[in-house]
Amino acid sequence: MSAAPHVLVIDDELQILRALRTILTEHKFQVTTASTGEEGLTLAAANPPDVVILDLGLPRLSGLEVCARLREWTQVPIIILSARDTEREKVAALDVGADDYLTKPFGIDELLARIRVALRHSLQAQGSREQIVVAGNLRIDLPRHVVTRAEAEVKLTATEFKLLAYLTANEGRVLTHQTILANVWGTEYADHIEYLRVYMRQLRKKLEEDPERPQHLLTESGVGYRFLADE
Amino acid sequence: MPRLRSFASFTASLFPYLLAAGVVGLTTFILYSLGPNLNTPVVALLYLLPVVVSAAAWGRWPAVTAALCAFFAFNYFFIQPLFTFTVHHPPDLLALIIFLLVAIVINQSISQARAGLEAASARERELTHLYDLATALVGLRGFEPIQRAIAEKTLETFEAEWVEIELPPVLLGERTILRLPVEAPPRAADCREPLLIAPEQSSEIRLWRTLPLTPAEERLLKTFANQSALALERAYLASTETRAKVLEESDRLKSALLSSVSHELRTPLATIKAAVTSLLSPGISWNSEARNDLLAAVEEETDQLNRLVGNLLDMSRIEAGALNMQRKWNALDEIIGGVLTRLRPQAHDHRIELDLPEDLPLLPVDYVLMEQVFVNLIGNSLKYAPAGTLIRVSARSLDPETVQVCVSNQGPPVPEAHLERIFDKFYRVTAADRVTGTGLGLSICKGIVEAHGGRIWAENLPAGFAFNFTLPRRWAGLSPLQPPFEPEEV
Repeated sequence: MSAAPHVLVIDDELQILRALRTILTEHKFQVTTASTGEEGLTLAAANPPDVVILDLGLPRLSGLEVCARLREWTQVPIIILSARDTEREKVAALDVGADDYLTKPFGIDELLARIRVALRHSLQAQGSREQIVVAGNLRIDLPRHVVTRAEAEVKLTATEFKLLAYLTANEGRVLTHQTILANVWGTEYADHIEYLRVYMRQLRKKLEEDPERPQHLLTESGVGYRFLADE
Repeated sequence: MPRLRSFASFTASLFPYLLAAGVVGLTTFILYSLGPNLNTPVVALLYLLPVVVSAAAWGRWPAVTAALCAFFAFNYFFIQPLFTFTVHHPPDLLALIIFLLVAIVINQSISQARAGLEAASARERELTHLYDLATALVGLRGFEPIQRAIAEKTLETFEAEWVEIELPPVLLGERTILRLPVEAPPRAADCREPLLIAPEQSSEIRLWRTLPLTPAEERLLKTFANQSALALERAYLASTETRAKVLEESDRLKSALLSSVSHELRTPLATIKAAVTSLLSPGISWNSEARNDLLAAVEEETDQLNRLVGNLLDMSRIEAGALNMQRKWNALDEIIGGVLTRLRPQAHDHRIELDLPEDLPLLPVDYVLMEQVFVNLIGNSLKYAPAGTLIRVSARSLDPETVQVCVSNQGPPVPEAHLERIFDKFYRVTAADRVTGTGLGLSICKGIVEAHGGRIWAENLPAGFAFNFTLPRRWAGLSPLQPPFEPEEV
């Protein structure tokens, strides 16, 4: 990867494109913009980006479609931009392989934070998977199945550990309820959201300083969960 | 098996004849034991008794059998020469003719009376069925309940194997067929009766039954169809009327909205425009503190605009009945936790306390909409309760069916007369120029809570003010699944 990470922004609103190009360039990113899905796919193939920022509400070729087509050949992190109240579309995009989403209107700090997480995640995916995850005062030793909080060992059940391991392996990514259930419990449990709620509550109680205001095991409203090592 | 059954039914059909003969035998036995005290004409008269009884009880042919048996018994036991079947005096044959005549005439009149009675009770049954149908249809408004009622009553009344009620597209937007019982019948319908609702759109009652309909049943089915069509038409008229009312109401809402909103939209826009144009004006070089102030104002006002647009969207969805709820099992503590994180920038002047029991059950709610309810209620408390005071969010199970949530603050009381109306659209207790807002937040809460099947109300506390609402704990009669217990082993 070159010194300046390459961001591809696909959005049909020209004002947004102009603003993002200016702001991201100012923050030392190399920026390419496309105003249609087709153009975005062509640009992505010609000059593979490090992160894609993709609006869901594109004309003709929809954002969801673009997301699916990108995933046919690349694992580049995709951050979805969406309007409010489109949980269904968001979930669909995450299910076809998007990594994260932001709801319009968003603050630029938030966008930059998401881009950083996405870049970090893709670096991790390229290199060897981290064996020991450290998040605040939590230390999760994946191979040895040992979790400590502020140096003290935390007892977890088998499923709790499996869930935690799956979330930490996808650090920074938004995981939909269905994806988590299918990966931790098995596809036949993909609709048993009750299980997930109960286990997340237990995990937070054991791992978070303040389970009602979690720092690492974050809820993505109406969509799923995300593990964040550090803000 | 079939042979056995036909044999059984054969003996059963023979039974009345045996009884008729038996009665004659009994009469003969009694008369014979009375012996010589009786003279022949009296005996002949008394032999009429078993004939009459048979005619009344078992019908024509058993009665004829009784008449023949009576004649032969009379002849054998009582007419000279005794104990022979020979008839010496032709007039004695008269007894046979009279016996037969009596049997036939009595049977005739009895069966006429019986037919009359049957017709009367059939009409009564018919009326009862019609009355049942009418009672079932009264008070039903939706097309689907009406369709179901018609199907159930038709199935019951005509003792059919299957019933199908097909409604035309004009009622529910598409052709809808309700079948009872649900599984598909093996053959095409045995009889059909059109439901005359909309011309040129097919809709009918279809029946499956092994026996063909009697003329009376056919007549009843026609009446059923007419009654059903009437009920559906009535519901259709009522629904168009409601739609007209909704349109009128939403029109009124729109004009109220425009007048309320244009003020609310212009205020932040004015601030943003002023701040941005000043920053862009070439003549002035702003010091960094002034520039930050202006930019902070722009940010605050854009947030305000965003909230406003969100509220308007929510409200229009609630009004249109298009909330598009995505109910799932959700943990209330998780929803409230998310809301508190979101509200942190606005909540630095207040303390917010959570009081949720450990065993609070999962609730079947839409996560995003419920979040909106808490944002609006806590946001309202932040706005009206003085800085430095406590806002408390609590929840508890009232009973196995309901959870009650309470958001209370130490703000000023609301006059009792306003307590109900604060959930109305555009209703504000404080003058609009003193506190910003659309007057929509609380009515959105009401819309969302009610869409979940709950109830929301406000009350004054001894030292403060509280919003309460209830939420159902069950979803389609079900409670959340509990994951199996697991020991801690890692």
